[in-house]
Amino acid sequence: MIYEEPQFRPGGDRCIEAYFGDEMSFDLNFLVHSVVRLVREADIDGIIELIPEMASMQISYDPDCISYGDASREVMSLFRSIGSLESLELDSRMFYVPLFYFDPWTRDCVDDYRKTIAEKEWDGDYLVRLNNLESLDQLKRVHSASDYWVAALGFWPGLCSLMPLDPRSRLIAPKYDPPRTWTPKGTIGHGGAITAIYPDRTPGGYQIFARTPMPIWDREQRLRAFQDSLALFKPGDRVRFQPIDREEYDYIDAKVRDGSYVHNYVEYERFSIRNYHAWLATLDETERPF
Amino acid sequence: MLEVLKPGLETTIQDFPGRLGFWEQGFPPSGPFDMWSHRLANALVGNDEHAATLECQFLGPSLRFQRGAVVAVTGADMAPKLDDLSVPLWESFRVRAGQVLSLGPVRIGARSYIAIAGGIDTPPVLGSRATFHMAGVGGMDGYALKAGQVVPIAEAEGTLGCRVPEEFRPEIRAKKEWCIEVVAGPNDDWIDSAGHEMFLSSPWFLQAKSNRTGFRLGGPEWTFSEVATNKRPEHGQDPSNILDHGYPMGAVNLCGQTPIILVVDGPSTGGFINPYTVISAAFWKLAQSCPRDIYRFKAVSLAEAQGRRRHIDAICAQAVSG
Repeated sequence: MIYEEPQFRPGGDRCIEAYFGDEMSFDLNFLVHSVVRLVREADIDGIIELIPEMASMQISYDPDCISYGDASREVMSLFRSIGSLESLELDSRMFYVPLFYFDPWTRDCVDDYRKTIAEKEWDGDYLVRLNNLESLDQLKRVHSASDYWVAALGFWPGLCSLMPLDPRSRLIAPKYDPPRTWTPKGTIGHGGAITAIYPDRTPGGYQIFARTPMPIWDREQRLRAFQDSLALFKPGDRVRFQPIDREEYDYIDAKVRDGSYVHNYVEYERFSIRNYHAWLATLDETERPF
Repeated sequence: MLEVLKPGLETTIQDFPGRLGFWEQGFPPSGPFDMWSHRLANALVGNDEHAATLECQFLGPSLRFQRGAVVAVTGADMAPKLDDLSVPLWESFRVRAGQVLSLGPVRIGARSYIAIAGGIDTPPVLGSRATFHMAGVGGMDGYALKAGQVVPIAEAEGTLGCRVPEEFRPEIRAKKEWCIEVVAGPNDDWIDSAGHEMFLSSPWFLQAKSNRTGFRLGGPEWTFSEVATNKRPEHGQDPSNILDHGYPMGAVNLCGQTPIILVVDGPSTGGFINPYTVISAAFWKLAQSCPRDIYRFKAVSLAEAQGRRRHIDAICAQAVSG
């Protein structure tokens, strides 16, 4: 459910957790980002930073400038000023992410896991079976058909949690148990109802089945997209996957290596939840066009 | 300039309060784990408390000074020596060009801080010199010091002959048992009353698999309330699972049955509950404890946590006498 009013809880003497509900839904996440935007715009003295998450946000504050009580009250009054969910709009950049489905590197990674940690069904086949799909080809079509919403970032610098905006692309998958000790940089994984892009070679637990040559984080800030930040995405951005083959993967990879790659994204769009709801109402979820 | 002869176990550049403003993208604040000792080290040499120092863990480095400098060492006792002569902790002293400052294996505590007048002058990354070595950000090329590196130091005259009186130092003793103050929350309602009683009355031991990311504890079993056992499926299957949320600094993060205290380099978000949070004024105790040490947790009010924090701030502002 989405709570009528957020619940504030202390996280020690420098953080506040504000919970807005207890479900995984786009509407709830959109509400979180809308409140985050208002709090940022209000520029409240003593509030240091905000971490939006699925259904909550973390506020860190300077207790010499503002008390726990005052910070919570300020956020509550901004929340009350929001009005109806339907009226909310947010600027949202769209990133085009080239994706090589069923690539050899994630296959090697899964093979290594099977050899050294535990036997398991190959992740692509597993996703097809769990989601009652016909084939790997259909998995690729379903996964790449939807735009994705950057619901949250975190755990690792740049690691993003992506929610499909088209309910017909919703896939489910359990996480690895035990987790992987490594995952190739740029791997695409799916866990629960969330797709993630691994920004770097890190441990991981999502089912993996594709890879992008496009960096989403760069600690050396070589490419232009990283001029102001080491991580590409911000919460509230959107992602559209563009299936590519090995040849195009290698072409992009070479451009990334020589520093000439330019990230493809547009910045002129605004996301209206009213329009989104209206579009959802036109869909027949039992008919998958892909 | 400082030449690294031996890097020590894991010696990193840290500044205070660390890398703020990028937590949303997954960058933790990092910074000195024992902020109290870091700030006093800076105060001793006449630096601003924000200046970058070296944090040495368990086994200190050997450093050759390429020019003269005013230096202070605080925190854990690693028997610091200048060439072959012992130098005191908690006092500023002069190092001449060519001399070698070396810190050995730790004798009391766990982390020492070396401040040099002027401060370490590596290029800031995202507004901070703090090292977040898990992702290779900040510090010297992103990681802990390596032999052969040369660490840049800004020029400053420094303050010689300063000392921190004993009563203003954190009480780092060879004790094996620590009282760690915590504030209940954010997810205290996920634990039942027996679970709270168990957490606050039991001794917890610090496991060896602990670092600047998290402090893993061993102890008895937790029990949960209805909130944890009767919840929507998207929270996850285990009672300790919750929809991904932010992780405050100091969170007692419950992964299944294992509590992990998330510290300076900890993850920003994740899917486990945080029934308690260690207060900022108790961080130095975590920083100065060693594997197998025993923690006993004491619940305090938010007001008491703020009072303890202000007390340390006041000490850091006035502790140094010339």
